[in-house]
This record gives sequence, C-alpha cells and structure tokens, in this order.
Amino acid sequence: MPRYELCVILKAMQRPETAAVLRRTVETLLERGAVVRSLESLGERRLPYKISKHDSRHTHGGYFSVDFHASPKIVSELLDHLERDIDVLRPTLLKKDPELSQTHCCGAQAEEAKSAASR
Amino acid sequence: MFALSLSRLLLQALPKKPVTPRATAQCIRSLTTSQQESLKKDDMPMKMENPYKSPLKTCILCNVTVDFKNVQLLSQFISPHTGRIYGRHITGLCGRKQKEVSKAIKKARSMGFMSVTLKDPQFIKDPDICGIKHFE
Repeated sequence: MPRYELCVILKAMQRPETAAVLRRTVETLLERGAVVRSLESLGERRLPYKISKHDSRHTHGGYFSVDFHASPKIVSELLDHLERDIDVLRPTLLKKDPELSQTHCCGAQAEEAKSAASR
Repeated sequence: MFALSLSRLLLQALPKKPVTPRATAQCIRSLTTSQQESLKKDDMPMKMENPYKSPLKTCILCNVTVDFKNVQLLSQFISPHTGRIYGRHITGLCGRKQKEVSKAIKKARSMGFMSVTLKDPQFIKDPDICGIKHFE
C-alpha cells in the first residue's frame, strides 16, 4: 500500500476541541481501511497569510501531520470529507516517495561527468 | 721534418680500430652488478593514488534533505523584500538541489507553511548563504 502524508491546518481552538477534531479525522481514516503510522503536531503558529475558509478569516492555526498507509481509492473521498469539515482550514494529502540515496549527490555526479567526458 | 714526425707519432698513438673490452667468462654473466639491479628496481615509480587530488566539489546542501516543513532552511533561498526564489547563479546550488528547493518552496506556499510575498520576520536575521547584495 502506498504511503501518504496528510498535513492539516486546523482552526485555532482550545485543546479539547482540537483533540476532538483530530480524533474524528483519524477515525474516518481508520473507517476507510488506512493504517495510521503516526500523528505529529507541528505547533500552533501564526499563518503565513490570512486564510478565508468557511465564511471566516483566520490568522492563527494549528499544524498537524498524519502519516499513514492506505489504498489509493480513498484519496478523493478523504479530501472531500476534510474540505467539508468546518474546523479544518487547509487539508493537503501528499504521497511519500521512497527516499533517493544520498550517495549520488553533487560530488559523485561531478566525478561521473568528468569520467564520461574523458572517455 | 719535426712536425711530420710528431704527427706520425700522434697517429700511431691514437687507436685506429675501436677498442672492444676483452670479454672474459666472469664478465658475461652480468654486465651490471646485482647491487645496481636492486637500485634500478627501487628507482622505478611506485603506483599510488594522486596525492594532489583536490576534494570533490560539493554544493552547500550536498547531504542535507530538503523538506517543505523546514521553513527556516527554505527561507534562506528567498528574497527578504519580495519573497522571490533566488536563481541558480545566486544560490550556487547544484541542479538537483536547486530543483528540490524550488519545488519545496512552492509546495510550502500552497500548503500554508510559507508566505508568498515576504520572508518570515523571525528568519530575516539568519546567516546569508546566497551572498546577494541588495540595492540600498
């Protein structure tokens, strides 16, 4: 199953309310057969620009990141569900690519180019 | 008369044919001695790695993973006045990393992590990587 990362920006709320929103988000994920790997909080900060969503302008928000494995079929349904949620300001779903090996960075590339040119 | 006789003496003294060394049995075995041979072998150049090899050229972000969440790192490659992404000739990054950085900045902007038109005020005092001189 491919690995996804959901980065949500939630409305600036009190702790129990934020917990409730996260709980129902993760529950929807689990309902659709996703395997949640981790849920991280990236802090509550001032938004880089004012976001108008659900008839109100927001300046602060809580950033959260959910790492999970799921089938590609639930992607569109999930995004639709999150867009309708009043407390979610900006949901973004990304696919996590397998990391490229760091050994093929700058130095190795330059070497390869040199050896190719000399041949 | 004297001059003639002197020249004749000289002619007699000078060897007419090239002198070949009398080759004895001992000589034929080795024209050079064993000591000379070992010296010759030691004198041959040894195979070794180039001692003057210069270190491989790397860019600043060579072994650093670029993430859209790392807003501070990404903010170092944008203008503090306009928020525009600096080009390759200013940042000095290799092709790969420049692409990664610009993609991450655009991603962060659309996801609501980074501002579009300005640089976050808390990151303005960060060390200058790009070395660009702004018009003042």
